[in-house]
Amino acid sequence: MFFYYLDLAWRSIKKTPLLSLLMVLAISIGISITITTLNVYQLMSVNPAGERSDKLIAVQLWSQGKDAWKEFNAQVTYQDAFNLRKSDLPVRQTAMFVTGLAIQTEDADLSPLLETVRVTDSDFFEMFSVPFLYGRAWDKSVDTEAAYQVVINEEMNRKLFSGENSIGKTLFLDSKPYQVVGVIKIWNPSPQYYDVTTGAFTDSAQLFVPFSLAPIEEFQSWGNNQSWKRDSINTYSDRLNSEMHWIQYWVELTDDKQRDEYAQWLTRYVEQQQLLGRFDSPEAAAQLSNVAQWLELNEVVPEDNKILVGLSALFLLVCLVNMLGLLLAKFLKRAPEVGVRRAIGASRRQIFAQHMVEVGLIGFCGGVLGLIWAWMSLSMLSARFDLENSLTNLDPSMWIIAPAIAICAALVAGTYPAWRICSTNPSVHLKSQ
Amino acid sequence: MLQIKPIINTLMRSKSGPILLLIQIILSVAIVANASFIISERIALMDRDSGTAEEEVFDFRLYAFDSDIDIESQSQRDMRAIRDLPGVIDATTTSMVPLSGGGWSSGYTIGNSEETAKDTESAAIYYGDDHMVNTLGVDLIEGRNFYETEIVTGSPDLATHAIVSKAFAKATWGDEPAIGKIMYAGDFGSQPLQVIGVVDKLQGAWVNSSYLDNSVILNVRLVNVFTKVLVRAEVGTLTQLKQAIPAVLHKDQPNRVIEGFTLISEHRKRVYRNHELMATVLSMMVVLLLLITSLGLAGMVMFNIERRTKQIGTRRALGARRRDILSLFLVENYIICIVGGIIGGLVAVQLGQQLMTFYSLPKLELIYPIMTVVGLMVLTTVAVILPARKAASISPATATRSV
Repeated sequence: MFFYYLDLAWRSIKKTPLLSLLMVLAISIGISITITTLNVYQLMSVNPAGERSDKLIAVQLWSQGKDAWKEFNAQVTYQDAFNLRKSDLPVRQTAMFVTGLAIQTEDADLSPLLETVRVTDSDFFEMFSVPFLYGRAWDKSVDTEAAYQVVINEEMNRKLFSGENSIGKTLFLDSKPYQVVGVIKIWNPSPQYYDVTTGAFTDSAQLFVPFSLAPIEEFQSWGNNQSWKRDSINTYSDRLNSEMHWIQYWVELTDDKQRDEYAQWLTRYVEQQQLLGRFDSPEAAAQLSNVAQWLELNEVVPEDNKILVGLSALFLLVCLVNMLGLLLAKFLKRAPEVGVRRAIGASRRQIFAQHMVEVGLIGFCGGVLGLIWAWMSLSMLSARFDLENSLTNLDPSMWIIAPAIAICAALVAGTYPAWRICSTNPSVHLKSQ
Repeated sequence: MLQIKPIINTLMRSKSGPILLLIQIILSVAIVANASFIISERIALMDRDSGTAEEEVFDFRLYAFDSDIDIESQSQRDMRAIRDLPGVIDATTTSMVPLSGGGWSSGYTIGNSEETAKDTESAAIYYGDDHMVNTLGVDLIEGRNFYETEIVTGSPDLATHAIVSKAFAKATWGDEPAIGKIMYAGDFGSQPLQVIGVVDKLQGAWVNSSYLDNSVILNVRLVNVFTKVLVRAEVGTLTQLKQAIPAVLHKDQPNRVIEGFTLISEHRKRVYRNHELMATVLSMMVVLLLLITSLGLAGMVMFNIERRTKQIGTRRALGARRRDILSLFLVENYIICIVGGIIGGLVAVQLGQQLMTFYSLPKLELIYPIMTVVGLMVLTTVAVILPARKAASISPATATRSV
């Protein structure tokens, strides 16, 4: 029966090509706008930590003074990071920031490269599920006993060592020799949830060096450095002892129980620091957020995207109302024909089903066309605005979502006209034949 | 206009069509009004002038990773070498590049005593030398530039003199002249800075900040392994200087990374990218929405005409002119448009209210819904006239044949 209805639907569409085309256009444009905005929204709001989202916890401290910021800072001070690392409650933990270093190899022909480098602890790789190609992270002992070791990524490995296994080789960062201990595969979570302070959609660093080297090598911070206090900072140790917030701190906790314990430990830490004269704001406290909460807290999905998704939903609604009107026109025009069919025995249910199949077919065509529009508009936008590829690739799920939305929307719009046509009295139309 | 009553009667008889049209117009007005408001707001944001010679000024980064380099003297040699290059108008080291999105900012303290001292609004800070004003291409409207002898070299804490933007001077001292005023970089009394000049306009690095127009230039040549350099050169010389500058600097000291080379106009494009993206997507939405609405309307009118062929034929037979038939459809359309426009305007204001509550958008200005309704009236007129002309040309004979 379904295929018979499909055949009927196709004939009917062919009979009123202009009206049908208008409908397909309307729904496809509505779908394409919705898909375009939804696609960008979805890619921005995706939680790249997956099932580890609840275990990875960002630590924030209200360490500022009374008249300073009115909210938790996304980063902590070096002093606090240093002290937090002493806790043995978390399964894993890491302090980190980004810097930039000049890279050279023993190959003198290679001109120095200036690259972003993440300064972090060995736990970083395990915590954020960084995939290794060769080797592994530096030993945990390096986190306390600094050693000149480095983890690089596949691309950097290709550039510096033409892609071979480079474990044990030496490269120079700011003219100091570092030993390569690990090569990671290309790893670029989007959003870059573990450090959103310089934008959640920037590329991950290609090199990683031990945090314990920071006070020795005096790595400059390339990230945000926020001060509430007028510390005079002239030397690197001034910086380390200052109240400047510039370090991201993450811990891994297995369950809620451990999270509570850690929260208590932090409360005690805050109290202890207060005795030392820090944390003098009445709001002094610690805040823990898992990845999902962290993305929410840092408003990783820009407001603009939310507004666009909202407006495009309304837009789709307009397209549907438009389609509803056109369908009504189209179906009612066919009333005499339906009258005849009803008179020779077609049930209302059959008439209704037949029209819904027709509507569904229009919706499907609209959905497919809409996908093509969406793909075109996304590639146009990415070319025009030179956006990150990840934001403008059509998400695979959209190949299901788009036609599904289109068909559902069309069916919703088609219900009333189909109902109208099948509920009219056949005798009215028969009379005028 | 005597036709209005029968037209309303017709509309009331077959409600569903006109009601759908009405809903569509209401929604269109609500969306288009808000979208065009956001678009024009973004365009206004992007149009703000940075006060600098954006097409002439570019920056690059210089990273001297070799610890043997004496950066202080190296930097002075570098700057001299750059200024001597053909095409270069002027150059300076800087802490920040206008519109680049990264840099330094701070508030200052002003007042007569510790008790009455207060904080100023935040301002972007440019640390640079006596070449800074000329390099940026900003307009010095009061006071003077730094003298070469006033420039200190080293840490930011050494600053003693300041050139401020007019916006900052106004926010801090109101209508009093800013020249000669003292502000403090530290707490009250610590590190006094004397204002010696005012530039007409100079923006900082962060285009989304509330203090974008507040800028301060301080008389310090920063000494750092990582140096930002601003160069002002004749338009079109960038490609050639991109080669020439690293060549001349590497000849002096090869152990350095030199990269970046971005015109301020390119920084502008990048930092406003999201605003431009938003404006583009919304414009697309507005155009398509209007297109769909008018196509839908045209489709409905076409259908109406077919359905009412007999009625139109009868009217024509009874002496109605083509013009009468045309105006019949137009008046019908205007009634729906006006009613839809009024309700749509109210919905638009409501929607704007919601957007303002939940997001950082300013309040919708009334002119937007009004203009949208007017625009929609014009558009629907076109969408109606085309099919209605066809209706008007129906000959009474064919239309009434089967009556």
